[in-house]
Amino acid sequence: LVSFVRDREFIISEKDIHDILDELEMGLLESDVAFSVTEEILSHIKSDLSGSKRKIGTSVDSIVRSALADALLGVLGEGVDIVSYIKEHDRPVKILFTGVNGTGKTTSIAKVAKFLQNNGFSVVLGAGDTFRAGAIEQIDVHGQRLGIKVIQHQEGSDPTAVLFDTVEYARAHQIDVVLGDTAGRFHNRANLMNQLAKIRRVIKPDLIVYVDEAVAGNDAVIRAEEFSKSVGIDAVMLTKVDMDPKGGAAISIAHAVGKPLLFIGTGQAYEDVMAFNPSAVVADLLGDA
Amino acid sequence: MLDNLGSNLKDALRKLAGKTVIDRAAVEDLVKDLQRALLQADVNVKQVMQLSQTIKKRALDEQPPKGVTAREHVLRIVYDELVLLVGKTVEITLGKQIILMAGLQGSGKTTTTAKLARFFKRKGMRVAVICADTFRPGAYTQIKTLCDRIQVPCYGNPAEQDARKIVRDGLASLKDEVIIVDTQGRHALEDDLITEIIDLNEITRATHRWLVLDAALGQQAREQARRFHDAVNIDGVIITKMDGTAKGGGALSAVAETGSGIVFIGQGETIEDLEWFDPSSYISRLLGMGDLKALAERV
Ligand SMILES: Nc1nc2c(ncn2[C@@H]2O[C@H](COP(=O)(O)OP(=O)(O)OP(=O)(O)O)[C@@H](O)[C@H]2O)c(=O)[nH]1
Ligand SMILES: Nc1nc2c(ncn2[C@@H]2O[C@H](COP(=O)(O)OP(=O)(O)OP(=O)(O)O)[C@@H](O)[C@H]2O)c(=O)[nH]1
Ligand SMILES: [Mg+2]
Ligand SMILES: [Mg+2]
Repeated sequence: LVSFVRDREFIISEKDIHDILDELEMGLLESDVAFSVTEEILSHIKSDLSGSKRKIGTSVDSIVRSALADALLGVLGEGVDIVSYIKEHDRPVKILFTGVNGTGKTTSIAKVAKFLQNNGFSVVLGAGDTFRAGAIEQIDVHGQRLGIKVIQHQEGSDPTAVLFDTVEYARAHQIDVVLGDTAGRFHNRANLMNQLAKIRRVIKPDLIVYVDEAVAGNDAVIRAEEFSKSVGIDAVMLTKVDMDPKGGAAISIAHAVGKPLLFIGTGQAYEDVMAFNPSAVVADLLGDA
Repeated sequence: MLDNLGSNLKDALRKLAGKTVIDRAAVEDLVKDLQRALLQADVNVKQVMQLSQTIKKRALDEQPPKGVTAREHVLRIVYDELVLLVGKTVEITLGKQIILMAGLQGSGKTTTTAKLARFFKRKGMRVAVICADTFRPGAYTQIKTLCDRIQVPCYGNPAEQDARKIVRDGLASLKDEVIIVDTQGRHALEDDLITEIIDLNEITRATHRWLVLDAALGQQAREQARRFHDAVNIDGVIITKMDGTAKGGGALSAVAETGSGIVFIGQGETIEDLEWFDPSSYISRLLGMGDLKALAERV
């Protein structure tokens, strides 16, 4: 008799999970997971769970929450260990930073440079934003503060040439890592995207790091998809997490490009960079479900 | 901005065409489409829910005035509610004034400062800029370069650490009619920097405090705007980077939160890429139905 009760099961109906799915939908949207991504993830969970059998005694809410947590972890993936990546590859390892305007590319380069220095690697920076006023000065100041060489040409010059020279410099001086800056640009500007594609062809970066910010809303998906299509993305850096600790944009971007997150940026200081921790993001998003 | 709203609403409104009584199912469809479009545009989730509830309730409860079709009635209600969301017209005066720029890191303050300087200069005013960003590497070079391009004087001192001092000294030495103060980026959780902008507002006795927001800003917009508004009483919002694919709905939530309006829209990286914004003609264009304001007033 005892075992008979223990093994009793019930079938989850769509109606049982309707309210909790609605609640979770609001939560994801309010955390900046893009609308399209939220809809897609939740509709998968709905169709997976409806009609499935569960043991009596388990609450439907917790079943749905843990299914969502699993789905989100699946989207986020594992992250990248940059230190082992560099150790396993031929020097110099060339890393190119891309993304739309003002997301934090240049600052992230400075943070990553410091991180790599702390891990015993030598670094050179390429001032590949030759377009925006003050851009060369900005990366140059970071280089001076960190004691890192910055290869630079004049404002308005060809960014490919600057980055080419940066790689040459690294070769000549046995530098481990090249970090290449690029000007911010929108994915709907074909000429600017072609320029980036040219940089990629000539420089052949080992990693293209796409930088976007945690406070971005639905556009995060569109631009990540476009950058991924036109120049490729190998890893993602999510900045300004200090402004928006929920970080739903991580889900939007990872879902759009299917690439791992490298680091998160949590402020404006060089130390404000952290390895990406997927379970912490999911715990924050679901309120420790 | 919100451009897919237009086509969504048109489809939904078509279902009401020719009807004399309001059809509940059609209203519910319309509200659903509206919700979807606003959420995709990054309007704050809570605001979207409120707005859609209000539209539904009014559409179903209010009696259309005589001679007004069901479609016109619902359209007017949608129009009214969108006006609240998009905010009021912000008048640009051409008198003596000080404008304090405020906003999150990387939102476009410095670029917009130069765009505004050009705008006022072309209106025949004497304009100067103060660089109060003592933090970001290259900040002074950036704004100075832009000001040089448009021949506007730029006061600043990259060696000085104290933004308050720069602003005091700048105001003492500049005699121009329009003075625009560019500040460093900051966000709601940075108390020291919020205090700094409160001080800069007091020192300048700014005529305007404009909040510069990226069109892609999502759900954080409302909370961030609230904090800036509490600190310095924001009286206008500038939405930047509207030349991308972002819809600017976050910035609209900031407009609602501050009870202000959109002053300008940034449409590109160069100094000319600035547009003035007229809320009512914008909504009419959005709904794609000619002069809705006239319709709203007639009704
Ligand atoms: N709060 C916060 N601010 C950040 C973070 N990362 C960058 N910033 C700030 O964001 C602003 C823009 O950063 P940049 O590094 O210049 O961004 P960018 O992508 O290189 O910009 P463009 O080259 O103009 O496209 C600066 O004020 C940075 O200090 C972060 O993680 N948190
Ligand atoms: N495409 C486009 N880019 C813009 C627009 N406005 C600003 N930008 C770009 O956005 C980036 C950030 O602009 P800034 O003016 O440096 O932003 P900020 O708010 O002063 O940044 P901080 O001082 O670091 O807080 C730069 O790459 C600008 O060229 C716009 O309307 N369209
Ligand atoms: Mg940069
Ligand atoms: Mg600035």
